[in-house]
Amino acid sequence: MTIISDLHEDAVLVVTGPPQWAGEMELPEPAGPEATLLTMNRQGDTVAFSGKVEYGQSIRSGFTFAIADELDVPLASVQLILGDTDLVPYDRATLGSQSTMTVGIQLRRAAATARRALIALAAERWSVDATSLSTSEGHIFSASEPSLRVSYADLLRDQNLRLLIPEEMTIKDAEDFVFMGKDLPRTDALARVTGQAKYSQDIVVDGMLHGKVLRPPSYGASPQQIDTTGCERVPGFVMVVRDGDFVGVLCEREDASEQALNAIRVRWREILDLPSDSDFPGILKENAGEMVILREEGSLAEEFAKADHVLEGSYFIPYIANAPMEPSAAVASWEDGKLTVWSGDRSPFGVRDELARDLDIGEDQVRVIAPEIGGSFGTKGTAGVAYEAALLSKAAGRPVRVVHSRAEEFMWGTVRPATLIEIRSGFQADGKIVAWECTAYHTGDLAIRGQRGADTPYNTPAVRIAVADCKSPLKSGSYRSLGCAGNHFAREVHIDEIAASLHMDPVEFRLMNLTHPRLRRVLSQTADRFDWDSRRTESSSGIGVAIGYDAGSYVAECVELVVQRKMVRVQRVVAGIDCGMVVNPEGVRNQVEGSIIMGMGTALREEVEFVGGRLLNPVFSRYRVPRINDAPQIEVVLAGDPTTPSTGAGEPGIVPIAAAIGNAVYNTTATRIRDLPIVPRLP
Amino acid sequence: MQLLVNGETYEVDVDGETTLLAVLRHDLGLTGSKYGCGEGDCGACTVLLDGRATNSCITPVDSAVGQAITTIEGLANGNDLHPVQDAFIEHTAFQCAFCTPGFIMSLVALFGRNPRPDERQIRGALTGNICRCGTYVRILQAAKAAAERLGQRGEE
Repeated sequence: MTIISDLHEDAVLVVTGPPQWAGEMELPEPAGPEATLLTMNRQGDTVAFSGKVEYGQSIRSGFTFAIADELDVPLASVQLILGDTDLVPYDRATLGSQSTMTVGIQLRRAAATARRALIALAAERWSVDATSLSTSEGHIFSASEPSLRVSYADLLRDQNLRLLIPEEMTIKDAEDFVFMGKDLPRTDALARVTGQAKYSQDIVVDGMLHGKVLRPPSYGASPQQIDTTGCERVPGFVMVVRDGDFVGVLCEREDASEQALNAIRVRWREILDLPSDSDFPGILKENAGEMVILREEGSLAEEFAKADHVLEGSYFIPYIANAPMEPSAAVASWEDGKLTVWSGDRSPFGVRDELARDLDIGEDQVRVIAPEIGGSFGTKGTAGVAYEAALLSKAAGRPVRVVHSRAEEFMWGTVRPATLIEIRSGFQADGKIVAWECTAYHTGDLAIRGQRGADTPYNTPAVRIAVADCKSPLKSGSYRSLGCAGNHFAREVHIDEIAASLHMDPVEFRLMNLTHPRLRRVLSQTADRFDWDSRRTESSSGIGVAIGYDAGSYVAECVELVVQRKMVRVQRVVAGIDCGMVVNPEGVRNQVEGSIIMGMGTALREEVEFVGGRLLNPVFSRYRVPRINDAPQIEVVLAGDPTTPSTGAGEPGIVPIAAAIGNAVYNTTATRIRDLPIVPRLP
Repeated sequence: MQLLVNGETYEVDVDGETTLLAVLRHDLGLTGSKYGCGEGDCGACTVLLDGRATNSCITPVDSAVGQAITTIEGLANGNDLHPVQDAFIEHTAFQCAFCTPGFIMSLVALFGRNPRPDERQIRGALTGNICRCGTYVRILQAAKAAAERLGQRGEE
């Protein structure tokens, strides 16, 4: 196992600093304490450290390109250590599409600090002015004096540099990039196509046992009587671990642990009067907490009185399962009182702190290592499976791996909050919106979850945006673009309804009510690429549009689809994204495409079904996620200006898609569907 | 019982009802095939049995005896990747890549019986594989590129 002191001992150049830096923008949270961000060894190889994790979004490649560019070194000489709490800075979680704009920038500054120090060393050695020297592929040279050339490795011999990132450290401009902004293969591609990439379920530790945890058949059920004698007959059975209602079995093999679990006989007491999906959306308003006013401007009463038309609409988004392909899994191993956990979680430090608290040990007695993560989309943000593995391992005195089943992932993972949004708008006959009143109810314990993207970007003299949290019968957690995607569905469908009521073109109507330059630009470019004007008049298919904003970025999507009886076939999607300067265009396109496919699922078919605490569809055969036959042609337009700072790309692509699809369905069927998912609600 | 996996013969001592996936992952240490659902719904565990794409998570190991089992680990020839693997890298046809071995194996099976599939046939061969990251567009591009390469190879 890698130890930080070994890495330091080997290092001849160490750059430290606070782990995050957002420049003139605001950090979502204060940066953690100063830490080692980057080291170089005698061979001139670079190791960089970040608490961010790789769950498919290509952050390892993005960081590698950025560091190689700032340092002027070959890609192969840069190694990244991600998500290992004993080695990396306290970066908190990987969420909100923040990595590139905060940690990415700071790693670039760290690399630039190293490069500047190396140039200064060479300048001193040759007694020349530092500005006369250039760097390329791990070497420093003088353009005017060909004999002056040295590799970083030679220069670092007998050195021991300890550098702090200076406040005024500048980074390169886009025109000086070699790797950033280019379409390059991912640095981790080979392992991913050969089966060598290791996820939590693939981690093996010597002497490891396999654990399974007894689950109730419904939420809130408690065991009344437990008989575990049947486990004894399972070959390879080792032990049962009981701690109150927690019951786990341990076996030498994973398949045996499943058999042992099935051999336990339990009489459950179930709570029968829990809410069902059919109680929604009404239950949301009944259980609403305190209303938080996000924005209140102008006089709604006056503007509504003056408006030529008033339109009201109510929109509903059901619970959605994150359903990452990799079910949650963890390996726990105790050695001399110190717990090491391998767990594919997007928040290794969060897991560490949670484990320390729940096991009543110090944070320094817990090390959490995130291997490759098989998708998150907002779930895998708590220590559940890691805690189970740690508890079982402690009881057994041997390392333990716990892998959740698909049904456990569906039932005990978190779901995207259900949401009800009511919108009342006032507008003039010429299309000018004058009043906008939006009240959103999002399940979950914090209204802040539903605030993202609730505000309207359209120019409106009188606005009131209010968001309330509501008690949730299912465990609401995060999701791709949490809250924002639902808020956008409601707003962008409502906008389409206004345009339709006035017989106005929906692109033209949006442009007429928008002054935001970046939104206007991304909408115009997307509509142009889609060939909106001619598709709108010529196509016999349904055509729809929606726009959005999230994570500092701006998006627009145009959709073409056909509806045949109870089936929607999306044929083509053009998506424009302005996420400022693009570090990794291939990565951005891949993320936007993935967001569209994922959002198509929420728009068309996905819905967690439950009756009285029992999940009805915790299997892929009944919870219908998009499959390859659902995939449309997708074109991504990178509409950003390379001189604006990089902003998020992992989530914004999902925010307009459900509305764009709903609007296209209306365009071809004249049926307005305000509740998701759309397919079951088609006439 | 004896199993022929990636051209090598292995002797394993397990109950015949044990799933092929469990044997590959646990007894043979071949973890490239993934557990995604355990019910044959997602395709992450796809391997080849005599060239046919098979969900190893619902296949009892004794039914695989006597057949040539191929897993993702057995595709490359030394450092030479299979054309489908090359195409996946070139088109970045993955994100988290948990499903990738399954998709690649399903495509290899398709090309084995039909070296020149059209897009409809490619989609048909992959309906049993789920990619929750939603990289289907790229998977289609990679599959078409691999089909072209394999088709050319066939003509030589």
